Order: sequence, then structure tokens, then C-alpha cells
Amino acid sequence: MVSMIDSVLVSLTLAAQDAAGAGADGATAPAAAAESFFVSGRGALFGWLVVISVFVLVSIMKARAGKVFKVRPIAGLSAVDEAVGRATEMGRPVLFIPGIQDMDNVQTIAGLTILSRVGKTTADYDAHIEVPVSRSLVMTAGREALSASYLAAGRPDSFNEDQVYYVTDEQFGYTAYVSGLMVRKKPAACFYMGQFFAESLILAETGNSIGAIQIAGTAETSQLPFFVAACDYTLIGEEFFAASAYLSGEPDQMGSLRGQDLSKALVGAVLVLGVVVMTVGALAGGLVDLGSVSRFFQSLVGG
Amino acid sequence: MVAPEQHAGHLENASAADSAHAPGPAAGAIKIVVATDCGSTTTKAILIQEVDGVFRQTHRGEAPTTVEEPFADVTVGVTNSVTELEELSGRRLINPDGTILRRTSPTDPNGCDIYISTSSAGGGLQMMVAGVVRQMTAESAKRAALGAGAIVMDTIASNDKRRPHEQIQRIRELRPDMVLLSGGTDGGDTKKVTELAELIAPAKPRPRFGGEYSMPIIFAGNKDAAPGVRKVFQHGGFDLSVVDNLRPSLENENLGPARDRIHDVFLEHVMAHAPGYDKLMRWSNAPIMPTPGAVGDILQAIARGRNINAIGVDIGGATTDVFSVFGPHFNRTVSANLGMSYSISNVCAEAGMANILRWVHLTQMDERELRNRVKNKMIRPTTIPQSLEALIFEQAVAREALRLAYIQHREFATNLKGVQQQRTVGDTFAQKQGGSSIVDSLALDLLVASGGVLSHAPRMEQTAMMLVDAFEPEGFTELAKDSIFMMPHLGVLASVHERAAMEVFERDCLIYMGTCIAPAGTAVWGKPVAKYSIDGVGQGTLLGGEMKRFALAGDARARAEIAPEKGLDVGAGPGKPVTREIRGGTVGLILDGRGRPLVLPSTREECRTAMDSWVKALDLYPS
Repeated sequence: MVSMIDSVLVSLTLAAQDAAGAGADGATAPAAAAESFFVSGRGALFGWLVVISVFVLVSIMKARAGKVFKVRPIAGLSAVDEAVGRATEMGRPVLFIPGIQDMDNVQTIAGLTILSRVGKTTADYDAHIEVPVSRSLVMTAGREALSASYLAAGRPDSFNEDQVYYVTDEQFGYTAYVSGLMVRKKPAACFYMGQFFAESLILAETGNSIGAIQIAGTAETSQLPFFVAACDYTLIGEEFFAASAYLSGEPDQMGSLRGQDLSKALVGAVLVLGVVVMTVGALAGGLVDLGSVSRFFQSLVGG
Repeated sequence: MVAPEQHAGHLENASAADSAHAPGPAAGAIKIVVATDCGSTTTKAILIQEVDGVFRQTHRGEAPTTVEEPFADVTVGVTNSVTELEELSGRRLINPDGTILRRTSPTDPNGCDIYISTSSAGGGLQMMVAGVVRQMTAESAKRAALGAGAIVMDTIASNDKRRPHEQIQRIRELRPDMVLLSGGTDGGDTKKVTELAELIAPAKPRPRFGGEYSMPIIFAGNKDAAPGVRKVFQHGGFDLSVVDNLRPSLENENLGPARDRIHDVFLEHVMAHAPGYDKLMRWSNAPIMPTPGAVGDILQAIARGRNINAIGVDIGGATTDVFSVFGPHFNRTVSANLGMSYSISNVCAEAGMANILRWVHLTQMDERELRNRVKNKMIRPTTIPQSLEALIFEQAVAREALRLAYIQHREFATNLKGVQQQRTVGDTFAQKQGGSSIVDSLALDLLVASGGVLSHAPRMEQTAMMLVDAFEPEGFTELAKDSIFMMPHLGVLASVHERAAMEVFERDCLIYMGTCIAPAGTAVWGKPVAKYSIDGVGQGTLLGGEMKRFALAGDARARAEIAPEKGLDVGAGPGKPVTREIRGGTVGLILDGRGRPLVLPSTREECRTAMDSWVKALDLYPS
């Protein structure tokens, strides 16, 4: 790398030598560095940023104006009533785990949004819910969310803030506590909504062994297979955030969700088009300049 | 297990109910049967006799029901209807004292071997049910009550969005014949079940009949909650009986004990307090059954006997009953506000005039004309059509009433909810939810119609078309109708002599209209949807939006090979051909190329043109 000082003319000389010491050299024309706000080769990315922003902003504006966007039914969300109903009939508690991360993690926030919905259903059914957490801030936020749910269900008197309590920050200390709680109290419905790591399989398998209906949601791709195999329903990656937006019903979240979906559809369409053109070009054998087509699509996706 | 003393009480009650009717001869000795169905307005009697080794329904009589004043005795109507049988058959069936005459020996030319009856007079059996969670134990309780032939007046649940005072008010307003209380799995919730009992007890629901009559409460919930429930109902004039839990676990439903107890209570309390029923019970050789319960029993017996899936529908003036048997699952629903006379305005309100109009092919009938006809029918609900236009209007409304009743039935007849699912990684993108509908139109084998507008349609083709339009059968489906609404009689006969009931059902009860073949899936109108090759009919191509009818008389059978186009299914999977034997009937074979779900053209003129072509294809109305 060569450092260049603004407005100072610089000329570069290159020399190449072979093993015997013979070689050739050459020099570039003098050039001066100038301050630049944009990387000109990344224009396509800027274009994408604008397009996606327009999609999201227009969608948010439409949602704020009262437009209702259809969200595909998510089995895991529809099953909340069924899970809480099972707990009510069996006279057992509902267990909700909002992940093991703090409030600065977007998955924890999405999990607490879903806690609001689950809490409202438990209040409606007059069932008992327990929310052990591994971060003190999550406990405070969880209490607020649950309290609001009981109020919305018209049963503020049934809310007890001790339903949401702090256990420990330690990952496996927390896991051991929750597993023990499951074996002792045998909750009939278990919800795992947030970010999980190695404890996911321990919790989900314990819940499965006690016969609970289990609903999980996480964007942690490495843990998804365990949840899918051991739980009744799993909100997979994007579904988890979509569920959060759907449940909150906030225009900003719904608009953002739709804007992102439109952007993904557009990117997908460009990728498919690129693949088709390149394939046809390769099959046509020289009719199309594959190099220039390839460069065009690379520039289009900012490569 | 229920508490021992209560269980013993149940058994005592059951035996008391059984002994209320006269014991009959063994099934092998039964050759002549008199059966009655005491409806709200008419009492229908039939005579069944063994002819050449086969049981046949030979004669039928009818008389007005006499539950109300001035007679206030149901047996007067029974005697009158059996007297008509007597006159038609030439066989003496009534004793001088008005009772049913029994044969003294196998060669006796007079009398019958057994007399049996069903009843829906006085509004039938009306119940209130309660459960902890509306979609779980309360739904199971509703299923038990409906399956026993009851009308469910209301379902109380801890999550039914009503406040306790509203629930108590509602219970006070109702006048049920009995209450079925459920809730909690065995070893599960006791608190909310007891709370439900505490809502019912102070509300003191009063029975319809008799001031001295103790309100029967059947508890079919968590066995651990039984002592608490008994304590709540020990004072206040309740007759509590405890039976096995109808949801011992959320994975299992055990409706049998609750249904049996409902029948017993129906006999002990409801029938015993209704005018003349004490006499009728003594005459009868089998327990008197609620009419819809008997219809459900015979449909189940037929489905089991032929190993098929069946749906039965009975459309009346105020309500529409739908019965279904799919595999081991029996379900019945009563659509309380869907009927052809008193409920016609509700059908129009629920379906919308535009939906009714789409079944009318006449150019001169518009929405205004339809509205006028509805209003006239509201003013004179019991009139029957006097002109072709009136008939077309009624049959259009019937299609919508049946369609809505079927939608309600599909929503009710579901798998159990609240059951733990076992998944594999293969289920990642297909996580099917519990509570899916059991009713599968593609697996349906037999569709049976009864009720005035279906039974009394001037042409069989009209009945068949109403069924096809409303139920949208898929694949191969036999269509039949109950000739003279004999299914209730046969339902109760099946409990005494199953072979006799089956033989009469097949030979005299059902009129087979034929078979409908309809590929499931989206059909492009005008493009081929299936190729067919049918013995005795020929070969051809069925186009989208097209209907064809081929005569296939009586009990004729033919081999049909149907090869659907890609994406359409007649039972073997999309695009796969099916060859099977089909049954003929009074209408014959109907090929329906309109696709499923049925989507009619959106504009009125296109829809009318399409309907006109179907009317012509099936020769529904005189031209």
C-alpha cells in the first residue's frame, strides 16, 4: 500500500528482475490524491440501499396510513392457545424462557414481544405462567411486559411480579435450574423464545420428556435443528421476527417486515435472472460475451 | 375411577331406565316390527316384516303428534299413526285399549313382535354443556351431547370471554333438560371445574318440564374434582351423576359413558315428565331414543358395515343437522339458524343475496326479486313452492344453507386439540397443527340427504345437484336420499336387530341417485380436466366448467376409468388415473369438471350462463 498526501504529485516506479538480476522497469505518470466521499466502484450497493430504504419507508408509511398487510399464518403462533389450554386442563404451569442474552440483543426483545401474547392468553385462561430469566434487565422488562398483558386481558389482579424472576447469569447454572424446575413442576407448555446456545437441546429434550407442548423461536441457526426435532413448533429465523412484528401490530414493525420482504424478493429475482442468463450464455456457446455479462451482474450485486 | 357410591348410583339409574320399557323377544324371533318417530308435528309409523327371509319396510302411516293440548298425550298420535298402518296392511296392530298388539305365536296373523320408537317432540333433548377450555373439554362435552342427539343451547367455558355474572345470567335464562359438566384431565385441574360447578349451582337453571323435577347434572370431568363438585351440588335440587371423564387425558376422548348417561337421563327425566311418555316407554321394547341420536347410530352402523366414510344431512325448517363418519370418528352438528322456513332470513343474511343469486339461472330473477321472495317466506314460513320460479329460489337458498352448515361441520369435526406432537427434522417447513378437520371430501364415499327441500324435490336430479353444489364432493362419491325419513326408526332398530336395520336401510330406506365423479383441484374452464372411459357409457374428455350426466339405472354397476389432468386428483394423487366400480341410480353418473374448491364466475351474466348450461346438462327443470 502506498500512502498519498493530498495535492502532492506522486509518481510510482516499478522494477521487475529475474533470478539472474536482469529485468525491466517503468514509471507511472505523476498523480495527485484527492479527498473522495464515495467509492465509485460501489455505486450499485448504494443503489440497492436506496431501493431497500424506499421499500421499507413506503411500506411503513402505508402501514401508518392504516393499510393492513397480510402475514402468512405461523403454526407456532396459532398453537399458543392450544399450549396454554393444555396447561389449563392439566392444572400445570406454563414455562417461558426468553433466551439467555440481555436486553441489548434483538432476539431477547422479540422474545419479550411474544411473552406479551403468551401472557395475555394465560391471563385469559387464568393459567399460571413462570418466567425464569438469566439477566436482571430482562427480568424488569419481562415484568413490565407481563403486567401489561394481564392488564390488557382485564385481570390485573391475577398478575404477580414474582412470576418473572432472576436465576443466574451463568449459562449452565441457569440451564440446570430450568431443567430441574421442569422435572419438578412438569409444566404442560414450554416456550423458548430468544437466543440460545448449547443449552437449547438440554432444555428442549427435558421438556419433551415431561410431555409438554413446546414452542421455540430463535434466529440462532446452529440451534434450530435441535428445536425442530425436540419441539412441537419452531419459529425459524425470520419467522421469529415476523411473529414479533405480527403480534405487536405496530405499523413501523409491520411496514419494515413488508419492505424487507419486497427487497428480498427483488434480490432473489436478480439472482435468478443472472443464473438464467449465464446458463443460456454458456449453452449458446459464444453467442453471448459471458465475461461482460458476468461483470454486469457482479456490479449489480456490488461484487 | 369415579367415587364408588356415585358410580353405584349411576348403575342403579341405568337399570331403572332399562326396566322402564317392556322386554322384547330374542333377535332371532323378531319377524314383524312396528316403529314410530314422534316428531314435533307428525308421528310417523312404519311396519317392517320379514319377506322371503329378508326384512323389508312394507307400510307407512302418519298422524299429527299429540304432545300439546288438547290431547297432551303422545300415545294418542302413536295409536293414530299405527292405526293407519293397520288399515294399509290389513294386519291388526292395536289392542282395544289402544296399546300396541303383540303376536302370541309365530303363526299369529295379527300383532307385531316388537315396538320401538324415537322422539323429537317438544323440541327434542335440549342441553347446556360446560368445560374448562372451550376448544378442549368443553368441545368434547359438546360432541358428546350432540352425538347423543341433543340440541346444545350454550357452551360455558372458563375462557369463553364472558364474565362470571354474565355466565350466571345466561345459565339462568336457559331452560335445559340437563347439564353436562366436564373439565380437567384425570389428575389435572380441579379448581376451574369446581368453579364452573359454583357458577351453575347458584344460577339454579330450571328444567323445561315439571316444577318438581330435579335438574339432572352429569359430571364427566377430572375424577379428582368429583368430591368437590358433589359438595357444590348436594343442595339446591340437583340430581348429580358422575361418569368417567370424557377427556381422561388430552390425547384421548372417551365419550361413551357420558352419551349413555345422557340417554338414561333423557328417559328417566325428560321423557318421564313429557305428556304420555311414561306410557310410551312401557309400550316400547327398547329405550326411546332422541331422533338425531338414532340417525347418527344408523349412519355409523352403515359406515362400519360397508367400511366407508359417510355424511348424512337433514335440512329442516329451522335447523340443519349434519352427521359424518370418517374412520372411527363420528360427529354431528346442528346449525341452529340454518333452515328453509323459520330460518330462511338468517340463511340469506349469512350467505348474502349475491351468493344465493349465483345458483339461479333465470334471467328475470334479480336481487330485488329474491328479497321479495325471502320476505314472503318469512311471513308464511310453512308454504311450499307453487311455481317453477319459487322452486328455483328455494333450491338456491337450500344450496347456501347446506353449504354453510357443512362449513360449520368441518370446523367442528376436528382432531383433538392440545395434543403433544412428535417431530423430526423433516417437519421443519411443514409443522401441521393439531385440530385439523377430520372431514375429507376426497375420502367421502356416501352422501345421504334428507329433509323436505331435498326429499320432496320434484326431480331426483335437483336433489343430486343441490348436494353436489353444497358439499362439493371430490373424487368418487355415491349420492343417496332417505326415501321417507326412515333413518330414525332404523337407528333404534339397529340396537335391537342390526341385520334387520341394515337390510331395510339398503333396500327401502335409501334411494340411490348415482355417483358423482369430480376431480379435485383448480380447473381451467374450457380446457380438459380428465379423460373418462366408462363401461356402457363410452369414452370422452371432460372439460373445465363442464358437467355431464349419463344414465346408469337402478342398482347397475359399471367400471369407470378416470385419468385426470396434471394437478387434478380423483383419489390416487394429482394426475394419477383411477379405475373402480361405480354405482348407478335414479340420476345415474354425474361428471363434474368445475374443479374443487368450486369457484363460480364472478360476473352475474357469466355465472347465469354457466348455471344455465349445468341446468341443461342435468335436465334439472322443465324447459
